[in-house]
Amino acid sequence: MASLKEIKRKIKSVENTKKTTRAMKLVSTAKLNRAKTAAQQSRVYAQKINEVLSEISFKLHQFRVEGTQSSFFETTQTPAKVDIIFVTADKGLCGGFNIQTIKAVKQLISEYKEQKVKIRLRGVGKKGIAYFKFLDYELQAEYVGVSSSPTYKKAQEIITEAIDDFINGVTDKVILVHNGYKNMISQELKINDIVPVEEPVGYENTSDSLMEMEPEEDMSILESLMKKYFEYNMYYALIDSLAAEHSARMQAMENATKNASERVALLTLAYNKARQEAITTELIEIISGVESMK
Amino acid sequence: MELLKLEIVTPDGLIFSGNVKTVTLPGSEGEFGVYAGHASLVSLLKAGVVDIELENAKREMVAINWGHVKVDEHSVAILADGAISISHEESQIADSLEKAKKLIESMGDSDVALATVTARIETFARTNK
Repeated sequence: MASLKEIKRKIKSVENTKKTTRAMKLVSTAKLNRAKTAAQQSRVYAQKINEVLSEISFKLHQFRVEGTQSSFFETTQTPAKVDIIFVTADKGLCGGFNIQTIKAVKQLISEYKEQKVKIRLRGVGKKGIAYFKFLDYELQAEYVGVSSSPTYKKAQEIITEAIDDFINGVTDKVILVHNGYKNMISQELKINDIVPVEEPVGYENTSDSLMEMEPEEDMSILESLMKKYFEYNMYYALIDSLAAEHSARMQAMENATKNASERVALLTLAYNKARQEAITTELIEIISGVESMK
Repeated sequence: MELLKLEIVTPDGLIFSGNVKTVTLPGSEGEFGVYAGHASLVSLLKAGVVDIELENAKREMVAINWGHVKVDEHSVAILADGAISISHEESQIADSLEKAKKLIESMGDSDVALATVTARIETFARTNK
């Protein structure tokens, strides 16, 4: 049995840890509320723009509108080089949040490797980058400090680089992986094929007219819409990931606080037992001393 | 009469959603109105006012800075970069007008658009008293 002093020190240390985890939980809860509102507000827009894009994609495939041979919609060929953009957190202590994203990326990598497809990684967030660096993967680009304070401009930077490569034919596919917010206690992994825009599965065509574009001289409208689509998807991934990160951390910290409380209770019990034992020993010593003097 | 399903979304959330009789949009090539049964169309929108006529013949106005619109036979989806709904409440009209002005001024270069929007909203506010 450990000495009284030792147990007391342990209790103190666990209590300090508990204070820290509880504070972290409170901070995460506050941050989560803000991040959640931001994500929910943008969700409508993200969904709508994806809806519109997939409808356009569907129509382009159906009718092969003249002058719209855009590489963004060419889905027939099998890709030879794929860019994977993954979003993780800059900080740890958020349970399995980062590892889930990393696992999904690793699975994608091995799947593509089997098909002899070349992969390039673009990492957002310190944790994911550190992981893949440790395993000696080469990262095409690294972005640190974006995941904790996402802005539209930063998202624009990240996605523009990837899309430029796509336009110039360096890559034929861009995939975006992030862990998104589902509700207060769970996250949802999202794997999005950004380009080429795939024909929606099970899409019900409710209109039977050809799609017109305005202004129609060039494809400028489609281009500007596509640009918005990429940028917004990237931005949404960042804020969605931030909300998920906070919800994951909140939960992890709550568990940690609970565990610390349990540990304190156990240690206190051990401490009381040890103290009682010491008292009993002392009593026995005194009594036997008195007995021997008789 | 057949109705159109209209949705206006911005990065800040849903601004308008509902069934409408007709909607007039500030297209980059000129203003155009849409009724149910309109052919599919994707268009660029410039700074201006989206004029909505509701089922009960009431009108609503939403100022936008720029965006895209997708039209088909049954629905209109507006993806605006920024949008301000002009309120019916007399006390709030001035406020929303101010916000709409700011929104369009943030686009920077279009004094004409600003003047047009201001004028239209003011007329709207007067006629709806």
